[in-house]
Amino acid sequence: MYLDGKDEAEVEAGRTVRETLISLNIKPELIALIVVDGEQKTKDYIIQDGDLVKVLAVIGGG
Amino acid sequence: MNGYGGSILRINLTTAKISKESTPTNVMRDFIGGRGFGAYYLFKEVPKGADPLGTENKLIISSGPMSGLMIPGAGKCDFTTKSPLTGGYASASMGGHFTAEMKYAGLDSIILEGISSKPVYLFIDNDKIELRDANELWGKGTITVEKHFKEVFGEEFQVAVIGPGGENLVSYACINHDFGRQAGRGGVGAVMGVKKLKAIVIHGTKSISVADNKTYRQAGKALYKACKEASFLPEWTRYGTTVVTSWCDEVGALPTRNFSAGSFEDGKNLYAPVMREKIVITDKGCFGCPSPCGKYSRSKKYGSNVEGPEYETIGLMGSNLGISDIEAVAQANLLADDLGIDTISAGNAIGWAMECYEKGIFTKDDTDGVDLKFGNVEATFDLIGKIARKEGLGALLAEGVKKASRKIGKGTEKFAIHVKGMEQSAYATHNATAMLLAYMTCDVGAHHNRSWAITYDLQVGRDLVVPEKVARVIWLQNFRPMFDVFGGCRLQWVELGIDRDLYIPALEAITGVHRTWEDFEKVGERIWNLTRLFWARENEGFGRNWDMPAPRFYEEAPKSGATKGQITKLEDVNLLLDMYYEQRGWTSDGLPTHERLSELNLSDLVV
Repeated sequence: MYLDGKDEAEVEAGRTVRETLISLNIKPELIALIVVDGEQKTKDYIIQDGDLVKVLAVIGGG
Repeated sequence: MNGYGGSILRINLTTAKISKESTPTNVMRDFIGGRGFGAYYLFKEVPKGADPLGTENKLIISSGPMSGLMIPGAGKCDFTTKSPLTGGYASASMGGHFTAEMKYAGLDSIILEGISSKPVYLFIDNDKIELRDANELWGKGTITVEKHFKEVFGEEFQVAVIGPGGENLVSYACINHDFGRQAGRGGVGAVMGVKKLKAIVIHGTKSISVADNKTYRQAGKALYKACKEASFLPEWTRYGTTVVTSWCDEVGALPTRNFSAGSFEDGKNLYAPVMREKIVITDKGCFGCPSPCGKYSRSKKYGSNVEGPEYETIGLMGSNLGISDIEAVAQANLLADDLGIDTISAGNAIGWAMECYEKGIFTKDDTDGVDLKFGNVEATFDLIGKIARKEGLGALLAEGVKKASRKIGKGTEKFAIHVKGMEQSAYATHNATAMLLAYMTCDVGAHHNRSWAITYDLQVGRDLVVPEKVARVIWLQNFRPMFDVFGGCRLQWVELGIDRDLYIPALEAITGVHRTWEDFEKVGERIWNLTRLFWARENEGFGRNWDMPAPRFYEEAPKSGATKGQITKLEDVNLLLDMYYEQRGWTSDGLPTHERLSELNLSDLVV
C-alpha cells in the first residue's frame, strides 16, 4: 500500500523506526504494529544491522 | 433445517415448564440466527414497559448457522435481553464452546422466562432437560462452580454461570464460561440472577445436517487456509487484543484517568511485550479457532491465574485508573471474572469514583475510609468486591455511572463517561470523530465492537466531519455484527484480514440458501432498525438526546498526551448525528420512518 506497491524495502540501520517510516513517506501513526524477530517494538526502537522489521498498517481491530 | 439445531427451547422458571418448538422458518429467513433471533424474540415477546428485573423480561440465548461447524471462529453465542443497566436493548456475545454444544443438543435458542422461587440450574444433555436445585452453589464464584460441574459431569459439558455479581443484581453483571469467556455487557448476568438461574450446563451429541457437505468442507478448508496464510497470524496469536495497547497510547486513544486523556505516562508498562514476558503462559482459543487470541496468565505477585487481561480490561482497569502494573490488572480481571461483573463497566465506574474523590466531591466518609486516588491498586481490588456485593460505595457504583452521577449531582454527570447508560469501552474519543459517532450510535450503548472505526479516523483525518466517515460507520454497523448473527467470530476478518467473500460459499453450503454480503447487510440493517425501535418503545422521549456522548468529549481537551489540547466541537457532534440520521433513513430526531420499516420488511412485527 505504501512502498509504491512493493512489500519490502531495505533501510539504514541506526535510525529509529519512526524516523525510518517518515523517510519512506509513511505516517507513523498509521502503523499499528512493529515486530522484530517476533517481538513487538515501539517506534523508538533503533533498527540494527540485519534486523527484519515487520510493520503492520492499522487494520480493522477491536 | 440445514445448518440449524432445529428447536427453540423455552424454560419458564416460574412454573418450571419446559417446552420445545420448531425454529420458525420465517425467523430463519429474516433474522438468520444468533443476535438476529435475540432481537426478534426480544421485540416480539418482552412486553412494552417490562421491568428488566421483573417476571416479564426474557433472556434469549442463541447459536447461529456457523456455530459448531468446521469454520474458523465458529464458537460465539448471543445473549439478548432488556438491559437492567440501560433500560434498552442488550446483546452480549460470548466465545468459547457453549454455542457449539447448543447446536449438538439441537438448539437454536434457549428462551428463559419468568422467575424461579429458589436457586436452580438448567441441565441439558441432548433431550434430557431438567431444572435442578442450585442452593448449595448459590453465593459461590463462577470459577468454583464451573470446576464443580466439570468434575461432576465431565469435560464435554459446557457451562455458563453467574457469580455473586449476577445474584446481587449488579447492573453490569456478566455471565461466565470456559473459565475466562463472558457474555459481558449490559447486565445480562443480572437478568439471569433475578431469575435465580445459577448456571446452564449443556451437552449434546446430535449431528448437524448441512445442505451440501462437499462444498461445506471445501469452503471451510479455504477459510482455514486463508487464516493460516495471513501474514499477521503469528503476531495476532502472540499478543491477542493487547497488540493495540501501544498504538492506542501513541495516538491518544488509551483511556487515562477516567478518560481525561488518551495517553498514559506509564503506559509502557502495560504494553503487550511486557505483559507477554511478565505473566503470559499460553494462548487460548475458542471452538474451531485457528488464531487463539486468549492469553492465559499467571501473576507471581498475586498468585492469580486468569484468562486475560484483554485490551479492554488493560484500558479500563489499568490506564483508566492510573494503574501501570500489568500484574495488578490481571488480578483485578480475575476478581471481576470470579465475582461475575463486567470489567469494562466496573473499571469505568471505579474511574468515575476516583475522579469524584480527587475533586473532593467524595470524602473518606463516602469511600468507606479509603484514599481513593488514581493509582490505588488495593482500593481497586476492594471496590470490585464491594460492587459485586453492593456494599458501601459499591452499592452506588453497581448502578452504573449514569444513575450514580445523577444521584450525586454536583457536576459529576459531566465526567460520567457513558452513552445511553452503558459505560464507554476502552477508546478515548476526544479527537476521533468516526469512533465518537460509533460510540454514540452503537445499539447497546457505548460499546466499540459494532463499528471499530478509530483506525479509519487516523487514515482520513481525525477531526474530519464528512459524509464518508458516517457512511463508513453505518457500513461497519450493518456488517460486523452479522458474525454475531452467524454465531461466529469476526476477528478472523477483522484482525487477520482474510477475504470476507470466503464466508459466502461456506454459509450457502451449510444453510442451502444463497445470500451475498449485500443480502446479509440488509439483514444487519433490519436488526439495527428493530433494536432502535425497541429503545424508542421502552424509553419515553427516546431520540437524539440519547445519542449524545459524554460532555467530556466536547468540553474538556486533554491536558497531556497525544491529544493534548484537542477536542471535538459540539456543533460537529450534532452535525455527525444529522448526517447519520439522514443516511440511515431516520427522522431528524433519530427514529426509523415508516418507509424504512416497510423497506426492511418490519411493518408487521412493529405494528
